[in-house]
Amino acid sequence: MGSSLQAVVGLLVGTGRPGRSALEEEVTAFYDAFRGPLLRYLASMRIAPADGEEIVQEVFLALFRHLRDGKSRANLRGWLFRVAHNLALKNRHAKVRHAVVEASGESVDPGMNPEQLAVGNQRQARLLAVLRALPEQDQYCLSLRAEGFRYREIAEILGISLGSVANALERSLSRLSRAGGEA
Amino acid sequence: MRTRLSGADSHLSDADLIRLADGELGSGSARSVLGHLEACWQCRARLRELEGAISEFVRLREEAFAPAIPAAGARAMLRARLSEEARTTTPGRFHISIPALATGLLVLVAMLVTFGGTVNADGPKPRLSITPGETRPVSLAEVCASSADSAADPIPESVRLQVFAAYGMDPAQADAYEVDYLITPELGGAYTVRNLWPQPYSARWNARVKDRLEHRLHQLVCSGQLDLHAAQRDISTDWIGAYRKYVGPGI
Repeated sequence: MGSSLQAVVGLLVGTGRPGRSALEEEVTAFYDAFRGPLLRYLASMRIAPADGEEIVQEVFLALFRHLRDGKSRANLRGWLFRVAHNLALKNRHAKVRHAVVEASGESVDPGMNPEQLAVGNQRQARLLAVLRALPEQDQYCLSLRAEGFRYREIAEILGISLGSVANALERSLSRLSRAGGEA
Repeated sequence: MRTRLSGADSHLSDADLIRLADGELGSGSARSVLGHLEACWQCRARLRELEGAISEFVRLREEAFAPAIPAAGARAMLRARLSEEARTTTPGRFHISIPALATGLLVLVAMLVTFGGTVNADGPKPRLSITPGETRPVSLAEVCASSADSAADPIPESVRLQVFAAYGMDPAQADAYEVDYLITPELGGAYTVRNLWPQPYSARWNARVKDRLEHRLHQLVCSGQLDLHAAQRDISTDWIGAYRKYVGPGI
């Protein structure tokens, strides 16, 4: 039933191709290329791994709709990170509300424990603490810069000005370098 | 502290050094910064420190934020969801050929003739693949402590846009729609995108009608006549059916 319907849709759109569309394949190829970087970025935003995986799924479903509707293909990598970033903020907002509703006093930061486990040595643990003490916007800028984005792209992803990106990077690298010097 | 180079004794700011290393200085500024660096050991040492901070951050990030879960299951799930999405949604209108369009119209007319009123009466419904409806863990006491129509926080513009994007809708049409929780937060609905859908203002079965249903369900749940989970399930699977069941057959 499902596949015959799909074939009919295929005929309607004039591709006439049974099975998966070229667009599905393209989106899957994007997924293979960017799942890792997106998950890493979401982890840096303190999204728990399972939530991160779900957000990444949402991101690529949104990409599918975006491309299907013939929207802009300019800088899709930046587009993916922007959508992921916004979904992550939404997810955290919901988590905070849960925590308030539950009011169980057991609101352990979900992103913290796996990090601490992963970071073996004391020096890195201290750097992580310095990193976490930075304003969140600064942390986002650092992570996106580490993903290889230029300042203008970072500004677009976060919806802030170019100057704010430069200031955030200056502030955070100055602080991290001081923390390193004290070790 | 460090200031942008102005006099003979001044040094480069961290901002200039970082922009230089990142290739974000214009060619004129880059030349003067490089000229200063050649002359100034302090600034070169500082640049080295900043680069050190960058390498430490890169290492930290690789260790602390490495994705641990193997990708195969998640990948298969995405493939399945993409297929579902491709099946359940209308193809982009620009790709439809004229004969196909004519065929489609014929089918539509045939459906209207065959099913008559039911197409209209069905009204606007959320798409289950995008908005399955999500709940948050709340107790009955918490649900009933708040009134049925206590105002929820306004939904931020960025989230509204996400919902429109999820439904493949043009944000320009946004004014004609209310982005609404499928399971209202007053019945324990979650504040997530998967619990939000665009509801047209103009439809007969519009947001105000749904508000009446929500009010009624809250009453029934809090007077012990209806299980909270049953209320959540009914409103998320078929809210119009739920309206007919709990409020009445007509609007």
